Amino acid sequence: MLIYLAKRLGLSVLVALFASILAFSLLRLQGNAATALAGEGARAEDIALIIQTYGLDRPIVLQYLSWLGDVLQGDFGTSYFFRTPVAELIASKVGNTVILAMLSLAIALALSIPLGVLAAVYSGTWIDRLCATISLLGQALPSFFLALCMVMLFAIKLRWLPASGDATWRHFVLPALTLGYYITPPFMRLVRAGMIDALGNDYVRTARAKGLPASRVVLKHALRNALVPVVGLVAVQLGLLIGGSVVIESIFALDGLGYLAYQSIGYRDFPVLQAVVLLLAVVYVVLTLVADLVNAWLDPRLRVS
Amino acid sequence: MTLLTVDNLSVDFGRGAKALHAVRGLSFSVAEGETLCIVGESGCGKSMTSLAIMDLLPRIARRSVDRLTMGETDLTRAAGIRAVRGNQMAMIFQEPMTALNPAFPIGDQMTEAYIHHTGASAGVARARAIEMLAEVGIASPEKRLGQYPHQLSGGLRQRVMIAMALMTSPKLLIADEPTTALDVTIQAQILRLLRDLQKRLGIAIIFITHDLGLVSRIADRVVVMYAGTRVEEGTAAEIFDKPRHPYTRALIDCIPQPGKTERGAMLGTIPGVVPAMVGEVRGCAFRTRCAVATPLCDGAIPKRRAGSHSWVCIHETSPVEASA
Repeated sequence: MLIYLAKRLGLSVLVALFASILAFSLLRLQGNAATALAGEGARAEDIALIIQTYGLDRPIVLQYLSWLGDVLQGDFGTSYFFRTPVAELIASKVGNTVILAMLSLAIALALSIPLGVLAAVYSGTWIDRLCATISLLGQALPSFFLALCMVMLFAIKLRWLPASGDATWRHFVLPALTLGYYITPPFMRLVRAGMIDALGNDYVRTARAKGLPASRVVLKHALRNALVPVVGLVAVQLGLLIGGSVVIESIFALDGLGYLAYQSIGYRDFPVLQAVVLLLAVVYVVLTLVADLVNAWLDPRLRVS
Repeated sequence: MTLLTVDNLSVDFGRGAKALHAVRGLSFSVAEGETLCIVGESGCGKSMTSLAIMDLLPRIARRSVDRLTMGETDLTRAAGIRAVRGNQMAMIFQEPMTALNPAFPIGDQMTEAYIHHTGASAGVARARAIEMLAEVGIASPEKRLGQYPHQLSGGLRQRVMIAMALMTSPKLLIADEPTTALDVTIQAQILRLLRDLQKRLGIAIIFITHDLGLVSRIADRVVVMYAGTRVEEGTAAEIFDKPRHPYTRALIDCIPQPGKTERGAMLGTIPGVVPAMVGEVRGCAFRTRCAVATPLCDGAIPKRRAGSHSWVCIHETSPVEASA
C-alpha cells in the first residue's frame, strides 16, 4: 500500500509538472503580454520597458525555469494587472470557490442519489419518468437562466435570500442551488444505471432470499456497488467546480477563482494564469488519488495487495 | 409431517394468446427432513418454481397458486413470507461466484440476516457464523469472516452460502442447482456435505437439478418436470427402478452407468429441446419428442397412480419399459 501511494505521488508530481509546462508555453503562444499590459496606442518605449521589466525577451525555457524555481520557493510572482502577489490574490478568492464547489456537489449528490435510486427501483414506471424529467430540466436550462429565475423568485419576490455578494452563508445558498442542480443530471443517470445493473445481480437476489427488508437490500447491497463509478464522476466534477464557474460567480457577484481566471485571460496576466493552472492540476491529481482510495474502500476487489 | 405444500402453482409471463407459461399447475409437498429432487432439462420451469416459492420471481412474472404454505404459515401473504423467508426457509443458488456481494466481508453477509431475524447481538451472531462455517467444513473460520468473496474459491463460496443459509436453523433448504457451476470433485464434496448436514440437522431439502445421476445419490422422492408441469412423481426407488413416463425413461437413459454402459456405446439423448409453452396448451407437452407418442397424445391425458407413484401419460405402463 505504501509503495502504491509513493508511486501514485511520484506520478502526480510529474503530471503537475507537465501541466505547468503546457500552460506556460501555450499561454505565451497565445499573445503578447507586453502589448496587452501597455494598452492600446501605447508607445514603443513603454512596451520595450515592460518587456525588459518582466524578462519577456528571454528564451521561453529560461523564463519557465526561473518561474519554476520561484514557485518551488513558494513565490508565485506578482500579478501584472492587480499588482499584488499572486499567492495572496488566489488565496483571497479560492475560499469562495471551494465553499461554492463543495455546497454544489453536496446538493447534486443529495438530489441525484435518491432520484437515481428511485428511478432504478421503479424503472419503466411513471416514477422513473418523473425522476428523469426533474433531472433533465437541470440539464436543459442554461445555468445563467436558472440563476436569474432563482434570483427573481427567492431574492426579489420572496426576499428570503440575498441576490449577490459573499458576505454570509446566506449568499451562497442561491448560487450553490443553481450550480448543484445544474450538475445533477450526469450523477443521476450514473446512479440510475448503476442501480439497475446492481439490482439485477445475483447477490441482490441472495440478499432478498435471506429475508432482508427491501430498503436494506436496495440501500446497502445494491447502492454500495452502484456508487463505484459515481466516485470517479465526483472527482471530475469537483475539479471542474474548483476551477470555478465564470457564469455563476459573475451573476451572483461571488468573487472567486473562475472570475479571476476569466479576468486574467483578458489581461494576459500570465503569473496568475500559470498559478491557477498549476493549482487545478494539483487539485485534479489529488482528487483522482482520493477517488481511487474511496473506490478501494467501496469495492475490495480494487484493493492493491 | 408435511412441511411445505404447493398446490396448483402457475407462473406466467405476459397475458393472453402470447402468454408464456413457465410453470403450469404444479403441485407437490415436502415432508419434514426429506430430500425432494425436482429434475428436468433446462427450461422446464424448475428454477421458476423455486423462485415462486421464495417470492423472488422477476417483476414481470405473474404467480398464481391455490395454496402455498409452510407448516401453518401462508406464504402468499406478505407477513407470512416475511416471517419465513431466510428464516425457516433458506435458499442457495447455482452460481456461488456471483451470489455473494463483492463489497462486504463474509462475516457481515452471514450475520446480517441472522441479526435481522433473531435480534441477536453482533457478538452472538459472529459466534454463530464461526460455528456454521466450521459446520460446513471450513478451516480457521474466524479468519474467513473478515475475508471478501473474491478471496475464496468457488467451492468455498458455495460452502459459505450453505453456512449462511443454515444460520437461522431453517427447516427447509431450497438448493437450485447448487453444484452445477463447480468442478466434479468439489461437486461431490458439496453433495456429501448437504447429505451429511441433512442427517445431522434434520432439515428438508428441495434439490433442483438437471442431473439424474445426482438425484440417485441424494433423493428420497423425485418430481420429474417437463415444460412447466409434473409428469411423474415417486420415491427414488420407484423413479429409477420403474420409470413410467417416457420422459423419465429417456432421462435415465442419458446417465452413463459404470459397469452397465458398454464401452464405446452411444449414450442416450433426447432429440430437440423443451418447447416454450405459449398461449393455449393442449395434450402432452412431451409428445413432440416422445418415441411412443400416439395420435391420442394431443387430447386429455389421464393422471395415473400406483401407491405413492404417479405419472401423467396416455400409456398405462410405459411401452418403452415393456420393450426393454
